[in-house]
Amino acid sequence: MSQLELDPVTAPVSPPRRAGRRARTSAFWLALPLAVAAVAVFVLPLTGLLPDGGQNLDATRQPPAFLAGGSWAHPLGTDKLGQDLLTQFVSAGRLTIVIGLVGALVAIGPGTLLGLLAGYFRGWVDRVISILIDAQLALPFILVALAIIANRGSSLPVLFLVLALTGWAVCARVTRAATLAIRERQFVVGLRAAGASEPRIVFRHILPNLAGTIVALGTLQVGTAILVESALSFLGLGVVPPMNSWGSMLASGQDELSQAWWIAFFPGLAITVLVLLVNLLGDALLTHHDPRKRRR
Amino acid sequence: MSVLLKLSGLSITARLADGELTLLDDVDLEIRRGQIVGVVGESGSGKTTLARAVVGLLDRNVRVDRGTVTVGDEQVVAPGVDRTARVRGSAVGMVFQDASRSLNPLLKVRTQLAEVLRRHVRDITRAEVERRSVEVLAQMRIDDPGRVLASYPHQLSGGLRQRVAIGLAVVTRPALVIADECTTALDVTTQTKVVDLFRTLVDELGIGLLFVTHDLMLASDLCDRIAVMSGGRVVEQGDALTVLDRPQQEYTRRLLAAIPSWS
Repeated sequence: MSQLELDPVTAPVSPPRRAGRRARTSAFWLALPLAVAAVAVFVLPLTGLLPDGGQNLDATRQPPAFLAGGSWAHPLGTDKLGQDLLTQFVSAGRLTIVIGLVGALVAIGPGTLLGLLAGYFRGWVDRVISILIDAQLALPFILVALAIIANRGSSLPVLFLVLALTGWAVCARVTRAATLAIRERQFVVGLRAAGASEPRIVFRHILPNLAGTIVALGTLQVGTAILVESALSFLGLGVVPPMNSWGSMLASGQDELSQAWWIAFFPGLAITVLVLLVNLLGDALLTHHDPRKRRR
Repeated sequence: MSVLLKLSGLSITARLADGELTLLDDVDLEIRRGQIVGVVGESGSGKTTLARAVVGLLDRNVRVDRGTVTVGDEQVVAPGVDRTARVRGSAVGMVFQDASRSLNPLLKVRTQLAEVLRRHVRDITRAEVERRSVEVLAQMRIDDPGRVLASYPHQLSGGLRQRVAIGLAVVTRPALVIADECTTALDVTTQTKVVDLFRTLVDELGIGLLFVTHDLMLASDLCDRIAVMSGGRVVEQGDALTVLDRPQQEYTRRLLAAIPSWS
């Protein structure tokens, strides 16, 4: 076919073609280091290149290799028990990334569904869901987290519950707004005029048109989930030993800041860079798919 | 000639925050087989409300106070009654203002036609879906239906998209088609082609067409009968040439005088 073939998801966003292409290019360059990092934390432990992670009380609080007194045996140094920090860093990164992804999914799922229902059906459905959204957003998340964790203890399922509760409202609000815009588009009115059933209109026609927005939202939500997890772990409410995340490494390193700053520094840096990249990626995707920037 | 659509004494009001607003006031209208009826009037005169009432696409805050809508021999709208779901898409097809927006941008034309056909034609086979899709595009005077079927809406020109949109409305062979300002977004040349297409469709298929427009000249070209609307009322109704040549009502005269001319 001689016709220009476009990816159907990106196709309808025709107006600022150039801006769209720029957003896609920058999205690629932002996604690349993220993908490399994600693969690295999962593959490195399998290669046997990482130092042994066991305790060694003869080599506690060793600085990283590039500082005076450091050695390449422990590239990022050791903690107060002489455990290798690079090994910890990699396994903690793995959990952080998993928490980010799953945490985003559990927020996006219910958030999207509720936003879709509120935006499409409007009326009392919308009123109830909007009140829930506002109520959720009015609650300080740390309070919600404390209440749940005090009640249920800290474990991964509880952490995901907290992430779902603190994340769904934003997703629902954005999805609702996007749905409101799409339901008035003529093809949706046309579908109703042609007698299409409502579930079919919502899930077969509106949802796919929201895909770009949802992907972008999900990406931003990964960043938020990682930050929430780090904050909770820092307070001792998130990931608890023997599991390790960058947030919990940061927490365990804070007592040592004066003697061994590197214990907390690298996980902290990693969180910052990871969340920054993820958020920039989410913004780039959102610019590409924001219904307000689409031609109406 | 059998009556396809009959509106009798239809009155519709909208409940607003600060009271009620009459959208349609005692509207009578009739469309017969093979007939094109134009509804003209300025913005806010109730044309679109009338078109939407027939297929039950009124907003939530809008209520039918009096009167009825009858499609074929089925009464679909009456105060407190909405049976439009039984005729939507099957007995009545609808074409909208802007074709580029009346197609789902994410689905190929083939998929969209097939969806409508499967919904309204029971136990239709895959081959039959394809045959009728090609057939309807050919009826729309589209030269290479194969290519159009395999295209996404954005890959088609505005004129082609409007033809596809009309095709979507008539593929289920409804007896009545409602076109709501469906030529407004098109350039004049394409407009003429679409109007010609409507004329041939009505003559070939013997359907009835309710043509809503604010363009008096276009209506006079296309329509057999014209209803002039103002403030929710049909102020004048009759044979197209009679209405335009010898308007009985002051409002119609003023509307006609508002058309720019060379003289």
